[in-house]
Amino acid sequence: MNDEIKVAIVGQPNVGKSSIINALSNAELHVGNFSGVTVEKKEVFLKRDIYDIKMTDLPGIYALNAYTPEEQVAKDFLLNEDYDIILNVVDANTLSRNLIFTMQLLDIHKKTILVLNMVDEIAKKGGSIDKSKIEKLLGIPVILTSAKEKRGVDEIISEIIKLHKIPVAKNKVFYNQKIEQRVEELAKILRKSPHFQSHDVSRFMAIRLLDRDEDAYKMIHDLPIFIEVHNALEKMYKELESEFDEESTTDILANERAAISYNLQMETIDVDEEEGSLSEKLDNFLIHPILGLPIFLFFMWALFQLTFVLGNYPMNIIGAIFSETSSFLADFLPKGIFNSVLTEGILPAVGAIVMFLPNILILFLGLNLLEQTGYMSRAAYLMDGFLKRFGLQGKAFVPLVSGFGCTVPAYMAARTLKNPKDRIITMLVLGFMSCGARLPIYVLLVSAFFANHNPGNVLFLIYISGAFLGLVVAKILRTVLFKGEPEPFVMEMPPYRFPSFKAIGMDLWIKTKMFLKKAGTFIAVAAMAIWFLSSYPVNNKMVQNYNAKIEQTTNIGKKQNLKNELKAKSLEDSYLGSVGKFIQPVFAPLGFDWRLSVAVIAGLSAKEVVVSTLGTLYAMGGASEKSKGLISKIRQNVDFKSAIALIIIIMIYSPCLAAMGTFYAEVPQWAWRIFYTIYPNVVAWLLAFGVYKTLALMGY
Amino acid sequence: MKRISDLEIDEEAVVVKIYAKEPIKGRLLSMGIVKGAKVKIIAHTLARQTWDILSNNTKVALREEEASSIEVKSIYE
Repeated sequence: MNDEIKVAIVGQPNVGKSSIINALSNAELHVGNFSGVTVEKKEVFLKRDIYDIKMTDLPGIYALNAYTPEEQVAKDFLLNEDYDIILNVVDANTLSRNLIFTMQLLDIHKKTILVLNMVDEIAKKGGSIDKSKIEKLLGIPVILTSAKEKRGVDEIISEIIKLHKIPVAKNKVFYNQKIEQRVEELAKILRKSPHFQSHDVSRFMAIRLLDRDEDAYKMIHDLPIFIEVHNALEKMYKELESEFDEESTTDILANERAAISYNLQMETIDVDEEEGSLSEKLDNFLIHPILGLPIFLFFMWALFQLTFVLGNYPMNIIGAIFSETSSFLADFLPKGIFNSVLTEGILPAVGAIVMFLPNILILFLGLNLLEQTGYMSRAAYLMDGFLKRFGLQGKAFVPLVSGFGCTVPAYMAARTLKNPKDRIITMLVLGFMSCGARLPIYVLLVSAFFANHNPGNVLFLIYISGAFLGLVVAKILRTVLFKGEPEPFVMEMPPYRFPSFKAIGMDLWIKTKMFLKKAGTFIAVAAMAIWFLSSYPVNNKMVQNYNAKIEQTTNIGKKQNLKNELKAKSLEDSYLGSVGKFIQPVFAPLGFDWRLSVAVIAGLSAKEVVVSTLGTLYAMGGASEKSKGLISKIRQNVDFKSAIALIIIIMIYSPCLAAMGTFYAEVPQWAWRIFYTIYPNVVAWLLAFGVYKTLALMGY
Repeated sequence: MKRISDLEIDEEAVVVKIYAKEPIKGRLLSMGIVKGAKVKIIAHTLARQTWDILSNNTKVALREEEASSIEVKSIYE
């Protein structure tokens, strides 16, 4: 039986934690989620001598006063989970800021290792770091690393083993005497409770309580000592706040930690902060008050060009593979229900989704590069002023723009928004950004009804009005649902860095795996259901009648027409047809017949399905948006008002099942899920109805 | 009383007091923007709505609201 050592890897964002993990040799990486939340959890397993080392990479956290859900996850882990060693990664360039958090970690008084990363950048500036002095002052081992140059990384493992064998070192960091005195007093009261018997635990709790940590307060709230602790705390808050002339003890402790950290940096790191580093020079252009925005818009334009132009080639290949496979299997497998389900239901539907994988990967590669190089926060900085007017914040721009490609990665891109309120509002309006799959529907309707206009302009108008509507809805949601809430925007702008291709490759590989898994399970099941609903029940008598008629005619065109007619009739009698007729009253005020109603409902499975369903229902068979026949059929059967209403419905109503599934996976609260499922459809219908009636009044 | 939002690009100053409420205050503190810290204005957008300030070798983007909640004094005082 090997000895297990559990290590928690902790650090502020942008310190290069993940590049350290990637640089560890012989490590096995597992990726999952922290239980109950969609925060990514990376675990690293290593074997060395007789030790099994398990390292958990916690989300980046600025301070124990948690602010974002990810920080809360990291904090909960540090406070409640069972682990042996804290591996605190800090950026040598911003040591004093990083150390403010390290002080909070040292309060826990666990075995701790300080990993000083990016020391190569200090060396490049001609600076020096006094490692043994930091060790002496903090009382913990320090390792100088450069993940980029793979320097010092493997030293971490031997240090972990070394530290594991010895007892935890004595605490070396103390606050001002006035604070320490209160900490000791409070700890004494806490030790009366069986929960805080040990000296370390009681001291840590006392500091957290003095820091006005709400989680710590909740922990003592139901204990018998609560009243005593509460009264002592109230007194101490008052006394300390007047002694230090500060508003809150939180500020007093923050100032203390900042002062200790600053002095420590001054004593141990000697580096000249040269003016005009590469980062500064780049920023002179990239966040220039006038040039910044056009440059940014150009980058976004280039990214989307790449996504769709480059993504088109593998997309066609994947599409061809799937259709070839299904037609091969259709002939190869014995005829029957299994054959039909597979080749007409599952394969085309899964294929239609997997086809988007290249686009999604290119988009994510681009977004990853923007994030890792540090440009993303500049983009947020540039867009913040504009988006603020609509109750959104700068970082929301990225998911919003991704939404024009595909809503699924856009929901995932919203993870970059750390504030839960900003995130939920952004995700709720993402559907208004018309995704690529809706394009064929627009093309079909625009060609049918706006033949005399420039179709490109009409399309552009559709996309722009969707986006604008989304921003207006965001504003409404912000004022109605989060009334009076502040919209804070405080964000670190990390220095520009060269991205790690290994890390990006790893991330894309994980995304691919998860995406394929979903396409193979969830979407396959949904496709099966749609296929079943549209194929049953079969009216055998009618099929026989038609087949006999088809046999009798020799005219190939007529044969095809009869086949299409049979298809349409069968569909009308199928469960899906019944559903269409059942829900038609809902759409009747918009002038939709049962066919349009079915197409709209079928579009919920995937937007591509709308065009193919219309093709089948208007008995064209194998129609595409370019098919002239379908265009004229639509023009004959649908009036102008209804067509506009249909465009509005398509623009606003719920996105496809895949997107909805992603939303559910990202947002665990049922209240939001239900709201998200209902409100776009209500808005879509009301708006479509309003426009339909207005057009009617105008005499169309 | 001078606030960060009153400064010009490249101007330096020392933080005197932070008026922002929690949790923003805590966030600023954890990014090293504390009493006594030196800050330098790197950039602001055309409408002075968003600010980029440098403190302790860390660049932080702030909105006008947050920038005006931080009182500063000249580095020579």
